[in-house]
Amino acid sequence: MATSASQTLAIPGQLLGSASKYQPGPGTHIHESNLYSSLLGAVHVVQPAKAPGPVKRLTKITPAAPPAELPTISVSRSGVSEKREVLPEVGNTVLCRVVRIMPRQAVVAILICGDTVLDAEWQGLIRVQDVRATEKDRVKIYESFRPGDIVRAEVISLGDQASYYLSTARNELGVIMATSEAGNTMYPVSWKEYRDPETGLGEPRKVAKPY
Amino acid sequence: MATEHPLVLPGDTIDPSLIPTHKKQPLRLGPGLRHVPPSTILPTVAGQLVTDLRKNSMWVEYNGGRYIPSQGDLVIGQVARSATDLYFVTITPYTANASLPHLSFEGASKKTRPQLLPGALVYARVTLANRHMDPELECVSATTGKAEGLGPLAGGMAFDVSLGLARRLLMARSREEGGVEVLEQLGAEGLAFETAVGRNGRVWVGSDSPKTVVLVGRALTETDEKALGVEQQRKLVKKLIREMR
Repeated sequence: MATSASQTLAIPGQLLGSASKYQPGPGTHIHESNLYSSLLGAVHVVQPAKAPGPVKRLTKITPAAPPAELPTISVSRSGVSEKREVLPEVGNTVLCRVVRIMPRQAVVAILICGDTVLDAEWQGLIRVQDVRATEKDRVKIYESFRPGDIVRAEVISLGDQASYYLSTARNELGVIMATSEAGNTMYPVSWKEYRDPETGLGEPRKVAKPY
Repeated sequence: MATEHPLVLPGDTIDPSLIPTHKKQPLRLGPGLRHVPPSTILPTVAGQLVTDLRKNSMWVEYNGGRYIPSQGDLVIGQVARSATDLYFVTITPYTANASLPHLSFEGASKKTRPQLLPGALVYARVTLANRHMDPELECVSATTGKAEGLGPLAGGMAFDVSLGLARRLLMARSREEGGVEVLEQLGAEGLAFETAVGRNGRVWVGSDSPKTVVLVGRALTETDEKALGVEQQRKLVKKLIREMR
């Protein structure tokens, strides 16, 4: 695949080309069959992979010419070298910090998606029925999470405008790091308890199974 | 009295001779004391240090300003508004409201449940109270399903008292330990009324006659404001009865 990085700069709203000549890539949008830039950054045009040569068989049924034969034009922010912004997708395992707990849900801030530390914190929601796989109606949020805990969770839905929906309903999901009321880091003793080594007091949490 | 219950200030060191010892039971710390590992006990509020040798516990008796809900307390709340399946009840002013489920009353089902209007008073028990979430209440005992005195309070009037007086009124032996006998004395004078005491500093008084309600309320608030002892309470009760007649 030939990549030609032209160093022309595009500003948001700048006309890049016609939709019949280019495929839209990240950082662009289509308006009335024309491609416009959405970001301020360098314009990149990527030529498509060459289609394999015609097969010399008279009886082969070949489909119509594949549509993606056009070069892809994209705009990326300068300074960010070809790196697209990582967003949590459905099925990703994320690490998040509990911000607030309410009787029927816990609000979390998603910090790490997979292995990438996110630039911005996205808000997530863990509903009370998604905390555990068993006995979902008897879950108490106060005995599963506390504000400040670090939780490993899985994205189950992109959710609404405000937040992603997350779930901890597996053994290896749940609280991985917690601080006690006295201020010390606790260590896990079972699937539902963390203990403070200095005071010896236990606190209930939904503990993630360590690898 | 001072030697029996010494006054402590926050951060004071406690004389080791005051700390009770017991052969079998561990030492229990009540409100107002904090354990700093390994072996320091610090008071966090100003008040009188009280020890119970039988139960091997110690705590500080203090007359605090603001009520902090704790699980199991009985409180008098005022319904602020009603949501889909909860009432929002104000226990302390200028804080988030506590939630009281619609079905948390004796014999309540979806079809038959009490309809409480905003402003109604309820006598409830705190089921969940921690510093991360809004408190939750119930008007029925979760184990037995019976109200046991909880529920809406009809008629009468609620008076504000200090937290210390509310605590002393709720003691089992309020005359010996708490030094309040005013309610018993008013009853002995022939007045017919009923009361509900909330740990959050509110006392509800109900009676057929409004004069009685006002009289009892006045007796309580004067006992509180002037810190009357048992004898002075007796004189106050006699004076109020004379004024009424």
